[in-house]
Amino acid sequence: MSRNLVELIRRHHAVEAPTALEVLKAAMDDHGELTDADRERAAALSGLPEAAVFGVSTFYDDLLAPRGERHVRVCTGTACFAAAGDAPVARLSADLGIAPGERAEDRSVSLAETVCLGFCHSSPAVRVGEVVDAGPGALDRAVSGETRPAPEPDWESVLPEPVLTRPGGWHGLRRALDTLGRERLLAEVEAAEVRGRGGAGFPAGAKWSFAAKAAGPEKFIVANGDEGDPGSYIDKYLMERSPELLLEGMALAGFAVGAAHGFVLCRSEYPLSKPALELEAARAREEGLLGTGILGTDFDFDVTIIEGAGSYVVGEETALLACVQGLRGTVSARPPFPAERGIYGMPTVVNNVETLCNIPFVAARGAEAYRALSPDTETAGSKLVCFNERFARPSVYEVPFGMTVRELCEDVAGGLAGGAEIKAVQIGGPLGGILPASLLDTRFDFEPLAAVGCMVGHGSILAFDQATDMREVARHLLRFGAEESCGKCFPCRIGLRRAHEEFATDAPVDRARLEELLEALELGSLCAHGGGMPAPLRSLLTHFPEELGLR
Amino acid sequence: MTTVSVDGVEVEVAAGTTILEAAQLAGRWVPTVCYDERQAPFGACRVCMVGVVGSPKPLPACTTPCRDGMEIETEEPTARRVSRAVVELVLSELPEAPAPHTELAQVAERLAVGEPRWGGAVHRRDDDLRHPYLALRHELCISCGRCVRACDEVQGAFALTATGRGFEANIAAGLDAGFEESSCVSCGACADTCPTDAISEISLVKRLKGA
Repeated sequence: MSRNLVELIRRHHAVEAPTALEVLKAAMDDHGELTDADRERAAALSGLPEAAVFGVSTFYDDLLAPRGERHVRVCTGTACFAAAGDAPVARLSADLGIAPGERAEDRSVSLAETVCLGFCHSSPAVRVGEVVDAGPGALDRAVSGETRPAPEPDWESVLPEPVLTRPGGWHGLRRALDTLGRERLLAEVEAAEVRGRGGAGFPAGAKWSFAAKAAGPEKFIVANGDEGDPGSYIDKYLMERSPELLLEGMALAGFAVGAAHGFVLCRSEYPLSKPALELEAARAREEGLLGTGILGTDFDFDVTIIEGAGSYVVGEETALLACVQGLRGTVSARPPFPAERGIYGMPTVVNNVETLCNIPFVAARGAEAYRALSPDTETAGSKLVCFNERFARPSVYEVPFGMTVRELCEDVAGGLAGGAEIKAVQIGGPLGGILPASLLDTRFDFEPLAAVGCMVGHGSILAFDQATDMREVARHLLRFGAEESCGKCFPCRIGLRRAHEEFATDAPVDRARLEELLEALELGSLCAHGGGMPAPLRSLLTHFPEELGLR
Repeated sequence: MTTVSVDGVEVEVAAGTTILEAAQLAGRWVPTVCYDERQAPFGACRVCMVGVVGSPKPLPACTTPCRDGMEIETEEPTARRVSRAVVELVLSELPEAPAPHTELAQVAERLAVGEPRWGGAVHRRDDDLRHPYLALRHELCISCGRCVRACDEVQGAFALTATGRGFEANIAAGLDAGFEESSCVSCGACADTCPTDAISEISLVKRLKGA
């Protein structure tokens, strides 16, 4: 990230200037396309150079597709793919008479692809304006103009006492302020061994400790709500159903590391998240739980809710920080880590939404109680998992670590609907490996999944049924990977394009050359996007080689 | 001070020195494409991969700080395999081979990377020759970011930006209406650092002669 641009942004933020991305998003919302006048205005208001604004305007999906009076966005996420392949896009294209990325000449309607709307429990999903419809008939209604909001199933906990799937009560923050103090809070979070729930599994306490020790006139907390992993809708549920848990977790992080402000970056694909968080933040301010002098102490903490603009890689922490500051959402090499140089060049903690939602329990009940939530394993805490539409009872469930994937699929989610059989499940998102039905007795936990080329990741469990063509799965995943590459590092930028091209036709794939490419991606890529995309391909090469059309 | 060895040659370096800088001190060659010593390390090209004893995987030399006692192997086979694979990928996105005098061509030659084996998409030809002294040939751009950083960090003109995403990534001046319509001051720092001649200086003499 350019230090000069970050300094320009810091100075303009100090006088409450909007970011370039905010101005460009507002222009799109206002008139459905961007003009040079919009870009010049964004530059003037934000203080960014015009060229930098142009770069931003060419990066995010939401700024690229022209919008008509009815802007139809069809979900091309993996759950929708597992349900209906590419049929939803073809159907809407044919019936609306426009290709994705196009707008009808009379401006009445426009069509765009989007990944993913987080309605993986009721595919296919389609969004018209701000309304997300999903499930049987959703495409018909999108064509006829009768879109209606799709219902979302309730979440459930299999724990004796739910920790994440319950309303928050700010008890953790009260105890931290009244009893624990900063150092004991930090010590509790470290002792609880809260591992990051966004994919990498990095200990949250270690991140906090780095940021607490880092020197800087200001520090920041950033909640990563950019749950872009197709098939995941866990953070969506947390942000929309228990926003108070997230805000309390952020306040606790701020108290522990000495930060007075936090940002939540939520996704534009989840149009309900930002309003839910803003409503809850306003309520918390009224009750003295956010703002200055929280609960009568000298602790100040407040939050700003920011919405992204359509980019998967923005879920990577350095790209996320770039997006929060209104820049192109590209990845930066670490070091420097966000704990040293983050928002406005200041020490910053970046934690995933679910990770932060774990903190109130740790603060209220202590590390030992937290560690006891998963009695059958060393891994601490509980985990939210979610299932796709192929299952009989798809929803978000709170489970302990250490159950087998089979128990989760069969006992918790009721097996596949209509008695269909699982061919394979992809766990944790598009960068997660694919587990064949023969390995369903693997335990759902960090190390056992890693041993079979998979990961906990974001916690989604996405089933492919027996009718699925695994070469199509490879093509689907690689198309996603190539389209979402931020374009910064060469292996990912070019390599994912080449890998997708290998599977885009019916021609046989040269296995040796593919494996060389996967190695370059795994070892060479700058971030987990290029580094992780080979994981599901490796799984397919191991478990379904005969279906891939190799030579 | 920190002591590291590079291919068996011990060097003492200041704290914060990168592996690449240590290798240069030791007189060992590490291939690079996005690196320019006048700019902050960027870590985009991933061609500077080296082996480090004890590390399970190769490390990018330009952005990895030295640790005391590090044993660096510039020609470690896995690292070298990744570097060569990446250079082959970069060559495969260009509609023509880079000119022999360019840095990219020279790195490819030294790594013995020949004609790329990848078919598939190449950059669309798009030459912007509106500026009197600077030619911008988008099809030769490999998104290394050196021109953008030269304009930002060296000249402070902020006339250039990265554009697009993924394979479509490229560069633009100003609002993409050419150098003359941007905040470009015609300093030539971008052309000077470009490793592929995507931005090149148009010789004034040739121009006057109508060549």
